[in-house]
Amino acid sequence: MTSPVEAEDAQASTALDEETESKADGKETKGHTGRSPGQLMWARFKRDRTGVVCAWVVIAYFAIALLAPVISWLYGKDPYTLYALEPDYPFLLDDFEMPAGDLGGMSGEFWFGVEPVIGRDVFTMLLYGMRTSLFMAFIITFLSVATGVLIGMVSGFFGGKVDYWLGRTTDFFLAFPSQLFFIAFMPIVIALFVDPADETPTYLRAVAMVLVTWFLGWMGMARLVRSSVLSLREREFVEAAKVSGASRWRIVRKEILPNIVTPILVQGTYMLPSAILSIAFLSFVGVGFVEPTPDWGRMFAIGAQNYEQNPTYMFFPGIALFVFVLAFNLLGDSVRDAFDPKTGR
Amino acid sequence: MKLTRSRSMRAIVVAVAAGSLALTGCSNDNGKKDNGKDGSAKKEDAAKQSKPVAYGDAAASTGPAKEVAGAQSGGTIGVYLQSDLSHLDPGQIYVSDAGQFSRLTHRKLTNFLEDKDGNLTVVGDIATDSGQSSNGGKTWTFTLKDGIKDDEGNEITSADVRHTIERMYSKVIFDGPSFVQTWLSGKDYRKKLPDGPYKGKHLPDDVLETPDDKTIVFHFDQPRPDLPQALAMAGYSIVPEKRDTKEKYDKAPAALGPYKIAERKPGKSLKMVKNPHWDPKTDVVRHQYVDGYDFTTTVEQASQTKRLVADQGEAKNFIQFTTSVDPGQIQDVVSDPEVNKRTIKGFQPYVWQMNFNLNKDVVKDKKVRDAITYAIPNKSMIGADGGKYGGELAGGLFAPTLPGYDPEYDPFEKSKTPMGNMKKAKELLKEAGVKEGTKITYAHANSPRAEKQKLIIKRTLEKLGFDPQLKSIDAATYYEQIGKVKNPYDLYITGWGQDWPSPGTVVTPVYDGDLISDGASNYSHINDPKVNELIQQALTEEPEVAAKTWEQAHHRIVEEINPAAPIYYAKQLQLFGSNIGGARYSTESSYVNINDLYLKKP
Repeated sequence: MTSPVEAEDAQASTALDEETESKADGKETKGHTGRSPGQLMWARFKRDRTGVVCAWVVIAYFAIALLAPVISWLYGKDPYTLYALEPDYPFLLDDFEMPAGDLGGMSGEFWFGVEPVIGRDVFTMLLYGMRTSLFMAFIITFLSVATGVLIGMVSGFFGGKVDYWLGRTTDFFLAFPSQLFFIAFMPIVIALFVDPADETPTYLRAVAMVLVTWFLGWMGMARLVRSSVLSLREREFVEAAKVSGASRWRIVRKEILPNIVTPILVQGTYMLPSAILSIAFLSFVGVGFVEPTPDWGRMFAIGAQNYEQNPTYMFFPGIALFVFVLAFNLLGDSVRDAFDPKTGR
Repeated sequence: MKLTRSRSMRAIVVAVAAGSLALTGCSNDNGKKDNGKDGSAKKEDAAKQSKPVAYGDAAASTGPAKEVAGAQSGGTIGVYLQSDLSHLDPGQIYVSDAGQFSRLTHRKLTNFLEDKDGNLTVVGDIATDSGQSSNGGKTWTFTLKDGIKDDEGNEITSADVRHTIERMYSKVIFDGPSFVQTWLSGKDYRKKLPDGPYKGKHLPDDVLETPDDKTIVFHFDQPRPDLPQALAMAGYSIVPEKRDTKEKYDKAPAALGPYKIAERKPGKSLKMVKNPHWDPKTDVVRHQYVDGYDFTTTVEQASQTKRLVADQGEAKNFIQFTTSVDPGQIQDVVSDPEVNKRTIKGFQPYVWQMNFNLNKDVVKDKKVRDAITYAIPNKSMIGADGGKYGGELAGGLFAPTLPGYDPEYDPFEKSKTPMGNMKKAKELLKEAGVKEGTKITYAHANSPRAEKQKLIIKRTLEKLGFDPQLKSIDAATYYEQIGKVKNPYDLYITGWGQDWPSPGTVVTPVYDGDLISDGASNYSHINDPKVNELIQQALTEEPEVAAKTWEQAHHRIVEEINPAAPIYYAKQLQLFGSNIGGARYSTESSYVNINDLYLKKP
């Protein structure tokens, strides 16, 4: 991308430099010479310890999700086998169909314990559930961001009637009670594609969930982009580009988009964890993924049935989800601070 | 009796000849891991008490009911329900919550009297005895007791009894049992009296006769030895002619029993108070110890269990009506001796079975059916339904609550191989020549329990070399979908329980080949000439003789046809508050014995 400074945003870059200078306090006095805003951002980000830790946590989550089959192979279990039914593990569950061992059946064999009643391995369920959550959230976030940016940009750049109608449409979607909508419409979306007598394929459930959450997930981004574009539209460098005869497409691409990358990125990092929560919510209430697809939301649902008798089962997906959402949100904060220190907390 | 999936819609349990709680420590665990004393009901204990029902004479039918030792009068018992009663009009009652309610307020021609060991006798309720048969069992005569009144003080006459039967022919009634109507007027009984008695028409005297105010005579075209038991169903409770308000009767029924409805807030609560016109001298079954009952119809199963386990404040006076203990909290209930002694334990009449759709090619070969039956890990299937306290391994298709139940009967050796016998199953499949990867469709309801059981079935079928296709059906329409004769599924699980303690109410509806139709309960579509013949024979025999014929039919079904793999017998576990006295498991209702309850400290 073209850097904002090249797009004549001299004011901002001066401010950035001043900020760095005061913080660096003389150490990098020679550093005045040509650092791009990207480099400046990176330098600021590296100094933010929370941000770096969170970045590592997030990277670790993605790595584990990607490597789940490998880990599961090394560990020797998978999330689909009902170990309580295997003759090799005769005493996994007690008379009440709860894990026989302490702490939800945690042992060298089953690191995070076993699931009550059917004895699946909690550790691999968690890994594969992470995969489900992250990949789904990634797709949903990407689609929502793309849609939001597109609609926001068109709305802000063209203004007038287009802005009015797109604005009202956005308002309309914002007014939907989204979670109720999810619950009501998931079965309908699935019914649209599947003959009621057939088994619903898992990919179709995934597609339906993506569609439904995407459908109600882009409005915040559209609002944000619109307001940013509105303020940029009247700026001198855009005027100059217009006067010099640049096409609209070029102006949008080269002049405006680079300047709104920061809010888009920051908003995107907030949307990803909330998408994970939405997916988990859908599965929790029983309209998302069904057995046997490993999923965090359903792990919560199973854990909630007997949290008093077997609290450990709830513990692992709970901690995993909590840490991830917290880390990703803090990372989003740090990225914003690094990009745009003026709008500090 | 159909077992519908919703907990509040459990089919009515009219009678159960066994399965009383016997809290002996002796346990037949087959090498299962056992933490100490096993307090769950045992089928062996149930079998000891499984005797054919006796028909009581006039002396046995004369009230008042035997006092419950230590009983006190006064106070109000609270009742927890998850949802409102499905029906109050007796003609519409065929599910268990309303059936239990009916024991408090309605009265019938006959009733079941249960002794302290759980043995059942059919006695006269408003009739003087359990009925006099003549003409080889084709004619039944009932005489009414004196002093039977409804809650406005009107004397009940034979006209009211006739009205009760005849109104079930009209379209007003659509949910109740249809045994007696069918026996009287055939399968299309509604055509014989389309508007019921409401337009002045009545059944002819050669069908239903009322020679005087006190006598009513039923005429059948073949012997009906089970009539006194059928008439003891809640569905045949008396509706006084003067009080009948047709559809509106479902909201405010007349009371003949010891309690009447004082106040009802639909979907929320129901208050019952004493019925002053009920004369204890006329009733050999019911008591009137407490002043009334307060129903709260909004308390979820988990919340009911929690409140009764805690036993604080008003919860001490509460009982679970038809709800069982929350499966997740069974451990908390039975492992605390203080709580455990406030439970009732026994069997429910339901047998969960894996039905094979005999119309489908995949399971046409008996060897394939046997293979799947051998392979099913019954113990794990029970595990998904609450474990040892939720069910017991099923050997055959007769529940322990049926007279003539044989605990030793186990043709598939399930007690030896509770986790399934894969070796034997694979041998059978090899003999049958089933190819690896053959597609087989398993349909299941989308309820939490079925979702867990589906994983177990899927694994079993995969291990057998099938390619299982799982089809999830909305729980609300599950029985409707699989009840279609041309349904596309190969396997599905159903539960069935008796209407009264006779195998006839199990074998006839579920395994009679003459009764295959859409919506009927012959889910496997079994049509075996020999079974059909045995059914026809048994239906006309006296209970004692018929028991042998039923057993013969049962063995033929399980061993030679195997239309449904027995999985498990469902168990009952209910809680009551510490101030409730006289509570025990009723073999008749398979719930708490609602007619004997009192408050220890009113």
